[in-house]
Amino acid sequence: MTDVLARRTLRQAALPEAIEAVHTELDGLWEDASFVPDMDRMTFATAVIEAASNVVQHAVPESTAPVELGVDISVTPLRLEARVSAFGAAHPDPIDTDPAMPDGEAESGRGLALIRALVTTVTFKRQDGTNTWILSKSPLND
Amino acid sequence: MDLSYEVKDSYAEITAAGRLNMVSAPKLRELVAEVVAAGTSRIVINLQETAFMDSSGLGALIGCLKAARQAGGDLRIAAVQPQVQMVLGLTSMDKVLTSYPSAAEAFGDD
Repeated sequence: MTDVLARRTLRQAALPEAIEAVHTELDGLWEDASFVPDMDRMTFATAVIEAASNVVQHAVPESTAPVELGVDISVTPLRLEARVSAFGAAHPDPIDTDPAMPDGEAESGRGLALIRALVTTVTFKRQDGTNTWILSKSPLND
Repeated sequence: MDLSYEVKDSYAEITAAGRLNMVSAPKLRELVAEVVAAGTSRIVINLQETAFMDSSGLGALIGCLKAARQAGGDLRIAAVQPQVQMVLGLTSMDKVLTSYPSAAEAFGDD
């Protein structure tokens, strides 16, 4: 990791209220990295909130302990990166990492397709009982 | 998010101020269900002060659209801001949810 210009982290119970806390951290990130263009802020923030909401809505605890949501967002001169984690979550069902966008009158199922459309790369990893989505958007100003 | 509504001559206007996300989406669904149950199925959602919407919020709008149509009416959106427009565009839902410059114009033609 080189030249991190701004960084915010959060870890708390994976409850709906946590989403508002993620918004607050995103706002703080932009205060610390005011050079990031509005369009990049808008797309990246939308993707991060989608990923965090996905953890809150779908992560299943691996044990009796509740799942915790972790968000680590950073700005470097070249890109925006987010690591959105579900701590203490069971391995998710097989993930289609490149799903089609639902059409018509579907009321759900657009989250991951939307993330795909908003950022440059999306990767998933599982390590030590933690599922992590890594989103990156680069280059800035594209 | 602050939700409020006002019944006009031929439609109800719901104002949604704040973030339309997984926290507020169920509240919007409840409010629209109440308005429809009270007898108004022509609804415009004023998004002038909705700075952010995610896919949960979008799902709620689609659910509310269905509820309004099932009751014989329609649901339209007005004063869409850039982030909401982006989400509508990327999901092609801008073709399903009709957008108007202002709440007053949403049912202006019928």
